Amino acid sequence: MLGLSLALFGAALAAALAGIGSAIGIGVAGGAAAGVMTEDPNKFGSCLILQALPGTQGIYGLLIAFFVLNKLGLLGGAGAVALDWNQGLQILASCLPIAVVGWYSAIWQGKTSAASIQMISKKPEAMGKAIILPAMVETYAVLALLTSILMLMGVQVG
Amino acid sequence: MGVARLKKAELYYHKSVHEKIAAALQETGACQIITTSSEENQQKISDVEALIASIDEKLADVRYLNRTLTPHYVDPIPSLDRMLGERPEVTMSELEELASKTDLKKICDNTRAVEHETGEVRLKLSEARLNSSILSALEFFDYPLSVITEGTRTLTGLIGTLKAENVSGFKAALGEFSKFAQDSELIIAPFDEKDKASEIYAAVIYSRNIEAEIRETCAKNGLSIVEIPANLTGTPAEEKEKVTASISELEAKETELSAKIAALAEENVPTVQKLSDYYNSLSARYNGTAKSDATECTMLTKFWLPANKADEIKTKIEEIGPDIELVLNDPAPDEEPPSLLNNGNYVRPFNILTELYSSPTYRGIDPTPLLAPFFWIFFGMCLGDAGYALVVFGTILYVFKKYKKIGTGVKDFIRLFLFCSVSTFIYGVISGSFFGNFIDSFVPVLIPLKNSLMLVDPMTNPMQVLGISLLLGVIHLMFGLLIAAYDKLRHGEFIDALGENISWFLLIVGLCLFGVGLGGMLPPHFTQIGQAMAILGAVIIFIYAGKGEPNYFKKIINGFLALYGSTSYLGDILSYSRLLALGFGSAVIGMVINLLGGLAADIPYIGWLIAVVVIIGGHIFSIAINILGSFVHPLRLQYVEFFGKFYTGGGEPFTPLTLSQEFVNVKA
Repeated sequence: MLGLSLALFGAALAAALAGIGSAIGIGVAGGAAAGVMTEDPNKFGSCLILQALPGTQGIYGLLIAFFVLNKLGLLGGAGAVALDWNQGLQILASCLPIAVVGWYSAIWQGKTSAASIQMISKKPEAMGKAIILPAMVETYAVLALLTSILMLMGVQVG
Repeated sequence: MGVARLKKAELYYHKSVHEKIAAALQETGACQIITTSSEENQQKISDVEALIASIDEKLADVRYLNRTLTPHYVDPIPSLDRMLGERPEVTMSELEELASKTDLKKICDNTRAVEHETGEVRLKLSEARLNSSILSALEFFDYPLSVITEGTRTLTGLIGTLKAENVSGFKAALGEFSKFAQDSELIIAPFDEKDKASEIYAAVIYSRNIEAEIRETCAKNGLSIVEIPANLTGTPAEEKEKVTASISELEAKETELSAKIAALAEENVPTVQKLSDYYNSLSARYNGTAKSDATECTMLTKFWLPANKADEIKTKIEEIGPDIELVLNDPAPDEEPPSLLNNGNYVRPFNILTELYSSPTYRGIDPTPLLAPFFWIFFGMCLGDAGYALVVFGTILYVFKKYKKIGTGVKDFIRLFLFCSVSTFIYGVISGSFFGNFIDSFVPVLIPLKNSLMLVDPMTNPMQVLGISLLLGVIHLMFGLLIAAYDKLRHGEFIDALGENISWFLLIVGLCLFGVGLGGMLPPHFTQIGQAMAILGAVIIFIYAGKGEPNYFKKIINGFLALYGSTSYLGDILSYSRLLALGFGSAVIGMVINLLGGLAADIPYIGWLIAVVVIIGGHIFSIAINILGSFVHPLRLQYVEFFGKFYTGGGEPFTPLTLSQEFVNVKA
């Protein structure tokens, strides 16, 4: 059963670390948004969009966690597949890209979002640029997601 | 298509028709006034300045009322409806009539009076509440407070707080003080001995002649004196009763006043909002013509207008009177006119994507029609779900059916998503995604239909979709390079076009053909063609990079450095793998929601209800979050990868003089 434990550990890392990163990122951006909105409550819409941007890493982590659970047969009551420790370790390794990159990129994306929120408080017309700057950071989370997905698809279980 | 051609108009007219001219220019909504006035002619347009000053006065009143009354106003129109154009419609002449019969000063005076009174009542109320809290703490004190606040002929007193642990020390200190025992009294509020840190009220009454000593003793023992307001003279119990009565009276007064201001708001805010648009329109209008040049009796206003509206505007202006001369010219080569995007119905919704980045210069390329098809495809691949597409499509059709007066800007933005929902639907069908794997999970009857329409399967064969994504990336990037080459050729820069753009085009397309050919997916002669193209491209890049460098050694270094730049193309191309990742993301999130719904359905009795809630709520969440991602990432591909090859923007957007429509739809 060591294999199953390792695989579950991977799923837990993906969901937890990426989720932590997103929570911090959204928190940082939210603080900036609240500051801007005390001056101008009408900016709620654009602030909310910018605040939401660092939230995707948490979703990517969740997505990978579900991917693993599904692969292990833990969803839907069919019973877990048999897994040796080697396969478990492979799944754990596949979870690492999104876990680590999701964690860090969400924090930095949150900081960029906060800066972008400051930017639209002075220049509301620069919304397009303000969205793109945090999205530049997210690129690496997307690449990590892709890496995790491709790795997971390559791992043979059952 | 592209950037609209503009004309520069010079309009000469007599000052007597100035107001009519200004109104006409604003009503066309297609004239951007050019500043021609200078310091010295400020005097000559003093009548315009006077007009502006009188409007500014009205605007100040309107702004004051808006600021004060709007927070108390319950808008009968929901804010979403407002945004979608459901607002009162008025004409400028109706507004003028409204302005003439509305006594803004009187409304302001009424509002100020109520505001002032409210302020006073609130001040008194907070004073009374403070007194009330002090009095509650002084219940232990049975004498009239006048002993403290005024004193008698011989006696006076003070009230203060000290820590419970200091009480015994304080008592002892006062006891030692010999005169204290006969002339004075110490009263301490009841307290709990165990709670040493709590603040205890204590009152000291003493003979006036030992005041200084008493105060010193108090200070030494940590008693901090509480100021008792001078108007409290009765015993705390009596005063408390009075204060309680006055609090309830003041509170009633406050409620009455806020009802009054709400009534003022309800009565006046709709008018004030209309007048706000009216005076803001007038202000914009005359601030526009204040940019004109003038002599004693005539004025010269210069402005840009779209060439296709020139005739219409000319007729409109010439109708005003005989003393008017309108001269239209094409922009001179050294002039930099503002840029107005002029695209047809199918491309116009994409204008906003260009404008969010930066408008093109007047003589530059408008990238909108060039990016539109790519954005459309990329958005479709990222959202990539037929079910989500139907939801978006249906919602937008409903909005368009219900709201007929949506403003052009908002409408175009919504239409962007309407268009993109079509590509989303197409990609959803060919990749077999309908609310995630809804069909596989819940309606197995439709599985054969779904499978028969599927062309790609990202779930089981992601490499195929990755290949398509990267191929689209290469096409997108190469298209960008060709546009850059075209732009350079247009300006006669043949060598630069060849060295900077066409060479890279040859190299990358060649390498792709070569690689694909080696993989055995193309006939063998494609491999040779690709090889030849790549080598030719690389040679041109190598030579071009050394151009203008006399030192042969440096020429070679520069050449290799330029070729090393190909890594950036590798990064650019790999960046398109996000198309797979995001499409995959929405499909898997959809799958997870269906899975959770399926699990919930197993709960006895109420399972189906929970399942429905989970599935509907989950998919709504998924649509919202995925639309955001599907908008942002394809946009990034346009801005960073595509625009990076040929577009810098930097134009001044065309901003015509228009009527202010912040609160109401104003018609000319």
